[in-house]
Amino acid sequence: MLPNRPLTKRELGMICVVVGIVGFVAVLSVDILDAGREGGIGPAQRLALGLTLALVLLGLSLLPIKDDLA
Amino acid sequence: MTHTDDHNQNAGTNPAIDRTLHRINRALLLAALILLGYLLAVYVVYAVNLIQFPFDYDQGEGFELYDVVLFGQFQWPYADIETFPFYGSIYPPLYHLFLVPFYWLFGAEYWYGRLFSFVSTLITAYLIGYAVYRETVRGAPQAAGRLTLWVAVLAGLAYLGSNIVYHIGPLFRQHISMVMFETAAIVVLAHVNEMADDKRRRRVLLAGFALLLCAGYTKQLAAFTAISALVFLFIRNPRRAVMWGAGFALVGGGIFLFLTIATGGHWWTQTITANVKDFNFGQAEGLLRTFVRTHFWLLLPAALMVVYEIYFDRLSIYSVWFVAVLGLNAFSAGTWGAGDSYYATAVAAMSVLSGIFAARSLNATWRFAPNYLSNGLIAPLRRLTPIIGRALLIVVPLLYIGYGRGVFHMPTSGAVFGQIADVFGIEDNTGYNFHDPDGYITLAYAQIGHLLTDADRAGGERIVERIREIPDDVPVLSEEAGFSFAAGRQIITNPVVLKILDEVGAYDSGELVAMIEAQAFGLIILRAQFYPVAVNQAITAFYEEDERVTMNGFSYIIMVPRAEPLR
Repeated sequence: MLPNRPLTKRELGMICVVVGIVGFVAVLSVDILDAGREGGIGPAQRLALGLTLALVLLGLSLLPIKDDLA
Repeated sequence: MTHTDDHNQNAGTNPAIDRTLHRINRALLLAALILLGYLLAVYVVYAVNLIQFPFDYDQGEGFELYDVVLFGQFQWPYADIETFPFYGSIYPPLYHLFLVPFYWLFGAEYWYGRLFSFVSTLITAYLIGYAVYRETVRGAPQAAGRLTLWVAVLAGLAYLGSNIVYHIGPLFRQHISMVMFETAAIVVLAHVNEMADDKRRRRVLLAGFALLLCAGYTKQLAAFTAISALVFLFIRNPRRAVMWGAGFALVGGGIFLFLTIATGGHWWTQTITANVKDFNFGQAEGLLRTFVRTHFWLLLPAALMVVYEIYFDRLSIYSVWFVAVLGLNAFSAGTWGAGDSYYATAVAAMSVLSGIFAARSLNATWRFAPNYLSNGLIAPLRRLTPIIGRALLIVVPLLYIGYGRGVFHMPTSGAVFGQIADVFGIEDNTGYNFHDPDGYITLAYAQIGHLLTDADRAGGERIVERIREIPDDVPVLSEEAGFSFAAGRQIITNPVVLKILDEVGAYDSGELVAMIEAQAFGLIILRAQFYPVAVNQAITAFYEEDERVTMNGFSYIIMVPRAEPLR
């Protein structure tokens, strides 16, 4: 059941961590699933990986703020 | 308590120094207003100059006008592009529908589409100023007053002063009116969840989502603003966001389905399939570097505002919007056919956020929620508050002056501009008697902004003259629609649509190539040769160059049928 109230900083942090991890795996999976491609991880992928990692770090940094409204 | 008292209390020392600093602050704010006011004057001159020009300035304007004409004649522009006249449109209809009454009144003219776009930028600037003032006063009623008003005006001028907004502001293109609808939607939805009255909240939500739909059906790129609005609403109230988001998707999808069915599927092919284009990472990187370099001094406070809201306050819709449209549009700017215009929405978001930052700084109304970061990073700096407060009085107006310098653009010739350019040593760096912060060097950066001359108009009229020499019953293939409009000829093909759909295997150029091979066209007028490869090859084999005409700095090639085709 979705809450009928604002998210807290901690909840937002948890969402960022989950989305970041899922995104990181998804970006890596592009190469794993697309077996015919050559050349490894390209510049756009590297950027996307960096952004997903940054999202995870952002999420982690929000966890200690707990009950403040996001 | 006035902001001055507040500062004095914060400073707690030497009122004479504070008075001097406030005088310097006002002088610098005035300088920033003059600088950005000057850029507004340049913008108005450019708009007036362009509005009077009867041909394409930016390639594609004429096809947008033709969309208006078709809607005005109750026909869809989303039609079969494989049969004569091979015309299709890749843009949603709203901008064109707004212009239909003008078409009925004045016929097929460029001026009203350009005027509409120009006015939409003024409305956006007003909305930005309004948002800055409202958000500043909302959290700190004592900030209401002339100083906040100055900053609000500066924020609006910052939007209009951006070289990106300047480039496309007065064009017969739908992009900048999309930014107006996006900005309006964001301003309307900013505090909707805090409304206690259920009926009023629903009305405002309805208005906000209606504006998002307007933006999306003006140009597809507004999807990123819709995403950021939904993310913000989710943060503020997940259940309400999902319910309203589902309704929004249902209505938006319903309109989409209707258009797909009503046009026999051509709407889908031309607005979705034709927008799946090649991605060039170098182009995206180049445009991002240019954007950051030119807009740096207001991107900085906007970014600081985002960080502040993440850790020390509640996230506003403006921060979510800024991050989303900056990131997503920066990526999209790498697609074929994209350009610096893709940053226009980010400029609007940046102008709002940096304006709020400036107003809070000058009014000394920052508040930091207690948490591990404010305890560790902000608390030790509290004793420096008077110094920081004084420094901000100088730094904030300098940010706007630095921004004005970064985006500075102006004609370098003519009665007034020539003298100003001489006095300040501003040189033409584009080859068009125009100084631009990029100098037209970055790939996919819009090479427009310079003023049009009588020679440009004469060039257009020469091409029209050539068309008029061809008998009325012989069709003319022109890569731009403006010449055909002026000569009273049928608009044939929308080259970019054919090219993109050809590249994704969704276009068979057989019928058009057959007409070229039969030398059915009395003339072919080319500029960028944005036709499918097979069409360009047929043109080369069956037509030959007869004349080149210069207009807007571009060389238009007039081709006539070869006496002896090459194949």
